[in-house]
Amino acid sequence: MKLLHAPSGVLALGLAVSLSACGGDEPAASGAALRYVTVGAPATATHDPHGGIINQSDLVRFGLLYDVLTKPRPDGTTEMRLATSFTPDAKLTTWTVRLRTDATFSDGRPVRAADALFSLRRVHAKAAENFGRLLMFDVARSRAVDDHTLELRTTAPYAEVPRALESISFVVPDGTRTFDRPAPGSGPYAMTGGDLQNTVLERKDAWWGERPPTRRIEVRAVIDPGARAQAVLSRQADVAIGVNPATARQVKGNEDVTIVHRPAMTMYPFVMRLDREPFDDPRVREAIKLATDRRELLDKVFLGYGRLGNDLLTPADPSSPGDVPQRTRDLAQARDLLRQAGHGDGLTLTLSTTTSYPGMDTAATLFGRQLGEAGITVKVVNEPPDTYWTEVFAKKDFYTGFFGGIPFLDVARVSLLGSAPTNETAWKRPAWDEGFAAALATADPAKRRAALGALQREIHDEGGYVVWAAGDGLDLTSAKVADLPTGAGFGSNFIERTRLLP
Amino acid sequence: MTVPRILARLSAVAALASVVVFGATALLPSDAVDARTGGRATAAEQDRLRAELGLDRPVWRRYADWVTGLARGDAGRSLLTGRPVGDVVAERLPATLTLAGAAMALTVPLTVALAWLLGATAGRRSRAARPVGGLVTVAAALPQVVLAALLVTVFAGLLRALPPVSLLPAGGSPLDDPALLVLPALTLAIPSAAYGATMLGGAVADTLRRPHVAAAVARGVPARQVAARHVLPFLLAPALRIFALLAGGTLAATAVVETFFGYAGLGELLAGAVASRDVPVVQAIALAATGVVLAGFLAADLAAALTDEERPC
Repeated sequence: MKLLHAPSGVLALGLAVSLSACGGDEPAASGAALRYVTVGAPATATHDPHGGIINQSDLVRFGLLYDVLTKPRPDGTTEMRLATSFTPDAKLTTWTVRLRTDATFSDGRPVRAADALFSLRRVHAKAAENFGRLLMFDVARSRAVDDHTLELRTTAPYAEVPRALESISFVVPDGTRTFDRPAPGSGPYAMTGGDLQNTVLERKDAWWGERPPTRRIEVRAVIDPGARAQAVLSRQADVAIGVNPATARQVKGNEDVTIVHRPAMTMYPFVMRLDREPFDDPRVREAIKLATDRRELLDKVFLGYGRLGNDLLTPADPSSPGDVPQRTRDLAQARDLLRQAGHGDGLTLTLSTTTSYPGMDTAATLFGRQLGEAGITVKVVNEPPDTYWTEVFAKKDFYTGFFGGIPFLDVARVSLLGSAPTNETAWKRPAWDEGFAAALATADPAKRRAALGALQREIHDEGGYVVWAAGDGLDLTSAKVADLPTGAGFGSNFIERTRLLP
Repeated sequence: MTVPRILARLSAVAALASVVVFGATALLPSDAVDARTGGRATAAEQDRLRAELGLDRPVWRRYADWVTGLARGDAGRSLLTGRPVGDVVAERLPATLTLAGAAMALTVPLTVALAWLLGATAGRRSRAARPVGGLVTVAAALPQVVLAALLVTVFAGLLRALPPVSLLPAGGSPLDDPALLVLPALTLAIPSAAYGATMLGGAVADTLRRPHVAAAVARGVPARQVAARHVLPFLLAPALRIFALLAGGTLAATAVVETFFGYAGLGELLAGAVASRDVPVVQAIALAATGVVLAGFLAADLAAALTDEERPC
């Protein structure tokens, strides 16, 4: 028995040593550095600003290192960056774009139209990876007129060219071949240390724009939303992008931290394919939309952080129609419609879902139960997230989809036009496509907006999407952080105005 | 067994491991192009990208090219981002080796202590034996996520003694702030040590039952000396084998633990690389981990060879 004592003593000693080696609280935020923690996984981290950019940490770093031609403001209007003016021809197919004359790359070379054209062509060539962002352009026939003037051609009349460039038009020097390390950029910050997981960026005094308030920004990628939130709560970071609704509720009343809302960022619409039974019958689609208890879904999946959905895919877009009456639950009418469609004896459906985004599985389970109250039996299948987006998404008849706050023109391009590679609801209406083309050939902004709004209304009325809510993007910051971007979509990746209060 | 034979056997195991990992990743449904295009590209676009990345070639051909590249010291490029695999892995290898090293530094003494406890009480109907055995079994079966949450609640939440997440300083090493290592290392070490102890405990019990131990105790040799001279030499080889195994398990478990603590290491990278079918990255990490485990087995085999010669009777 004596043999027992020595090792347990060693054990106790080992634990004591390991505990005493660890200090107490982290030092408080140092005045000048903003520590920004956001979504990003190491497997997808990249230096290439023109392909498929999956990590928000990469987008934010690119937004600091490179200039874009334009970017969206929180209100949805277009802010000029490298571009200073856009002038279309009468047909809206040839656009003259003037560029700033005072932008320089970090290696001292001036930013010229040739650099911008090179970058746009790269984005265009990588269409397969970036959801065809610049496919509306005929990049072969576009040209650099002089050092600071671009002539951009579109394949068809396109009145929204300034908005089309609002996404990943990051400009790198003409001829840049390798992206194993950052290319020279003309943006407000330069990378001075760290790696792709944890980048240290310093303000450049030579930047053309208004001097950013923060000298040093550290952008860090952390996969787990819980770990991101803990980073701010334990004062290891000042900003945590994308925290769970449960975290937002927990920190209510905590005066050291603030929750910043980015409205209508996250959507898990239920997707019905119009070319398959029973969803080819508009009465079935309407019945399902009427059987949905949107309030319950919003309250239980997003814990109320968001707004009710009205089967409109882009409620934050300036062209979203404001006068569509809210669809509310009506079980009696839903049952009646099902009876008319020949499903009076009941209907059995299989709904796929996954765990790629928090709450997708909960949403499907709840929705299935709600449809049960209208006489529809729903079998919910939880599919592995690894293969969901290739095996289920845009393939199955009935599943839980995802949209992350992209504008209407992008949604139309990837999911609604007859030519869209992932027309997941099989929304194939030549008249709708013609209406879309006609809207984009309309020079008058008000008329164009009305035409685009009417197209969205048609989706609301007859489409295959049940958009039950749009969840807020939720960011947790220390109480000292000010001017974090709040708009939906791409604009929230530009953080050069974000600062720490003294 | 001779040293050259041991080395030959280990090389064969390493080669086999690389074939198995390559094959397993290739057999998974969907590929890196699916991941890269997010399911939102046309079939023609996907085919073009597959040809560009060489994914249109047969599996054996891809494997052969990978081996040839490796022989030249080129681990290839990520299928997802085009970055050199060497860069991607080298960025994170030191952090994971440090964490796994810290975890093993806790695991080894903990395993020995627990194994001693289990081995010494085995066979005796002592009151201490059963609860200890039960606790060790529970600890061995504890999922890391549960243990991590528990440790964070106690040490970060209640005691405020340790950080709840382990964000490494930019461009720095985990050793700049060792406090960051404690909770992830404990999360890795506790279940691992408990599992190791259940295996090593048997060897301890067997050794303690040997007649020469009883004889030494009867001769009045002090307990410490009995342990050092008559027991521990017999345990060296089995213990080293178990530690090699635990090191492999610890490396594998970093995937979960690193993600939980936001610790920028290889485990986190491996999880993402498998999910996106980034075969060259998966291969490089798997090979590095295999190397660590095999180095452990090599040490164990050598120790066994040595102790066999000098084994006292």
